[in-house]
Amino acid sequence: MNMKNSLLITRRQRTNLLINLGLILVTLFAMLPIATTVLVSFKKEQDVTRKPPVIFPCDTPTQAFDWSACRWSVEGYDRVLAPEPASNWLGFELTGNMIRTYIPNTLLYATTTSFLVVILAGLSGYAFSRYRFRGHRFLMISILAITGVPLLTNLLALYQMGVRLRKANIPLYDDRFFIIIVYMGFFLPLSVWIAKGFFDAIPRELEEAALIDGCSPLGALWRVTMPLAAPGLMAVFLLTFVGVWNEFIAGYLLISRNDHKNVMFGLYDFLGQNIVNLQVLAAACILIALPMVILFLFTRRTFFKAMVEGAIKG
Amino acid sequence: MRQLLSRYKGGGQTQTSLPFWLILPTIIVLLAIQVYPALYTAWLSLQEREPTGWTFVGVENYKRLFGTSLFSESIGHTIVFLVGYTSVTLALGFIIALLLNGNVRLSGFYITLLFIPWIIADILVGLIFRLMVVPDYGLLSGILQNPKIIPPNGLSVLTAVRPTPWFGNFAFPPAPAMDFLILASAWRALPFVTLLLLAAMQTVPSEIIESSRIDGANGRQVIRHIMIPLMLPTMVVALFSLTLSGMNGVGMIFSLTGGGPGTSTEVLSYMLYSIGWDRLQFGRAAALALMIAVVNWLLISGTLRVTRLEDRNP
Repeated sequence: MNMKNSLLITRRQRTNLLINLGLILVTLFAMLPIATTVLVSFKKEQDVTRKPPVIFPCDTPTQAFDWSACRWSVEGYDRVLAPEPASNWLGFELTGNMIRTYIPNTLLYATTTSFLVVILAGLSGYAFSRYRFRGHRFLMISILAITGVPLLTNLLALYQMGVRLRKANIPLYDDRFFIIIVYMGFFLPLSVWIAKGFFDAIPRELEEAALIDGCSPLGALWRVTMPLAAPGLMAVFLLTFVGVWNEFIAGYLLISRNDHKNVMFGLYDFLGQNIVNLQVLAAACILIALPMVILFLFTRRTFFKAMVEGAIKG
Repeated sequence: MRQLLSRYKGGGQTQTSLPFWLILPTIIVLLAIQVYPALYTAWLSLQEREPTGWTFVGVENYKRLFGTSLFSESIGHTIVFLVGYTSVTLALGFIIALLLNGNVRLSGFYITLLFIPWIIADILVGLIFRLMVVPDYGLLSGILQNPKIIPPNGLSVLTAVRPTPWFGNFAFPPAPAMDFLILASAWRALPFVTLLLLAAMQTVPSEIIESSRIDGANGRQVIRHIMIPLMLPTMVVALFSLTLSGMNGVGMIFSLTGGGPGTSTEVLSYMLYSIGWDRLQFGRAAALALMIAVVNWLLISGTLRVTRLEDRNP
């Protein structure tokens, strides 16, 4: 009995070991492309353009690898960020377009869009969850069916709409308003479905109690249901935020002025140049991806919930 | 008061106009950004641009589209891409989910690391993978282009042409660039599929697995006869949603291969981009878009049907 027990334990340990080994391999596969990009971004131009390529820029004429001879550099980041001496408290100023224009623009687009999407999707998700009215099913299905039209062709019409609006000389109007509305239209359908799912999970009895106590339906929505739905709406906010940050093609086709460009469009500043600037391109990729990775690491639970919810529902 | 409550609770029709006002803003945005462009696309697909303006040409755009050899070639590429992409992603996703399901202690740590690819924009993923195989300078090119490893001349992923097809004109076996595109797409989609499958795997009741174990089923039999059948609806949802993203995603092709070398990675969505926005044949692009939309709608309604079946028998 004793021996059998110990045999069982070693077998379980062996399976555990195999599982961990497998997971480590998979994690390496997931990290490899990112790691190579980080490596390239910290190299000098002379090491990026070597034939055959070297993984670490650490070889000397006599030795294949010498830790003290490594030629790491921040040349790529330097070119993207373009720091200049300045008289502020830091002593320097980042003058690259990426930092000065593209990232603030994208933050503006992403924050505004996500905020508006949360409000609209929250209101309509609540209505779809709590009321049965004529056209309920039709509207829900239509909202989902809308997502089936390829984005690229919606852009044919949206492009012409954008041109017409620009020509109409509406005071204070510029592309930024239009792109925010367009992004809202892109991210609303799925958000409505996700929001409805989250509202469905909140018991009605709480609202009914508030109604009996003399709350108006809107008051009950605002004071009772919304606070309970906050985590779900946060998920909608984050998904939309990342979606707008990562969106390329609409920004590329609809934004006409350089100072309105978003980050993904701005990335193309570094692509037009020739091949020897791989380290600059890698640095730009890292700088653009990093904020989203950090955001994800802090809010991953919310993301996971929204992903599963969104996939099952839509 | 009672009237208000009964109106609120009445599951059938409500007389209140509140839900209408709650949904209205969402509907207005969707009409402007999604419905109008979709209808415009349908109209556009029957038009041809003449110097004087648009003229009605009926189904001429569709006929011309079917007449080009690139169209049938693109369908072949799309099929190869979708089959490769969905099967690689689903198979790997299932294995990773199994591994994560077996390791309870560290799974949170692994999940966090494994999920980072999902948060990175498709356009950046394309660039990151491109950096690895840039002819001569990419870190993977150092291995792949070495004639000693891949005889006779080594392999440059981004420039190698398609091998001679086996079946008439059908694009199989695919060009190395297509294999690489499938790898990059799978790399980005894996976290999503893994999470979905893991969530489904954790709902498989452990009693069933334990009792079948007692009855003498081995690990493979448990997976084959218990887990897979119980997870089938989720797998179908994952398959549809992968197909949907694969049909419509254009960002990764845009930055990784640009449809090349030659036309070997030109799938339908990229063809839509290039005839619409490079060659400015809007009518033909719209016709192609409608065909893609039909496939999308089939996939969406399939997903809805599967999830509804799942809701009915939990």
